[in-house]
Amino acid sequence: MSDQPATPAPQGAPSAPARSDGHTGGPPRRSEGHSGGGGSGPRREGGGPGGPGGPGGGPGGPRRGGKRQYFRKKKVCRFCVEHVDFIDYKKVEMLQPFVQERGKILPRRMTGTCSRHQRWLGEAIKRARNIALLPFATEL
Amino acid sequence: MDERIYDLIFICRPATPEEEVNKIVATLEHSTGEHGGKIEKTERWGTRRLAYRVAKHREGFFVYMVIKSTQEGDLIKELERRLKVSDAVIKYQTIRLDEELKRQQKLAKHRERRAGRRPRKQAPGAPPPAQPQQQVPAAAAE
Repeated sequence: MSDQPATPAPQGAPSAPARSDGHTGGPPRRSEGHSGGGGSGPRREGGGPGGPGGPGGGPGGPRRGGKRQYFRKKKVCRFCVEHVDFIDYKKVEMLQPFVQERGKILPRRMTGTCSRHQRWLGEAIKRARNIALLPFATEL
Repeated sequence: MDERIYDLIFICRPATPEEEVNKIVATLEHSTGEHGGKIEKTERWGTRRLAYRVAKHREGFFVYMVIKSTQEGDLIKELERRLKVSDAVIKYQTIRLDEELKRQQKLAKHRERRAGRRPRKQAPGAPPPAQPQQQVPAAAAE
């Protein structure tokens, strides 16, 4: 990623040092930039050709290489693992982990539930809510 | 008509005496029988905390029933009317479950079959491609 902007840029020479600066002192400058937005502006413009690489390199800066490299553990649907064919709305303790404190249903991306089971789960939670086993929203 | 299975839950006021709950259950049983249904199961969950306030109560006495209805009719309508009328009941919910139970059975059966088939599938899966290959050279030789 760092090579790509360097080759096509006509101002390769000026941009390269700018970027090297960005690389070495990138993260600290950024944090400064957050506090004082004006200061960071020209610097970003200066690194214009390297701009596409810059922001990509910024978050990945400490990790080198510019690519975002963080690995998330793959979540597996809990119901699929246990071969659940029917989600019972009466088992509140079972539904509780899939509900936020305030009573919201947790999204799939948080729990890793597969779409089919999330559908069933949503239905079960709504049924449980209807009969006052789960809250619609917790009162404060 | 197919058999239908319903889950019925109703919540009584926490201060309801036991006899009154029994009376409600008895009337429900009676009208279920009248409409060609059957109560499979009655469970008293006892007094539980409600997740939210219902009729100014924070607790309620839960009764859970499983009802089987074999006959076309207004069984559920009648049961819900009775629950609505009775003062002790603050909330009720009927859910038709037979379709989901059917789905559950189907999925379980499907899985069983797949689990049983999986080791076998690999064994017959390999020979079929081998057989035609054997046949072709045999035919060419002949």
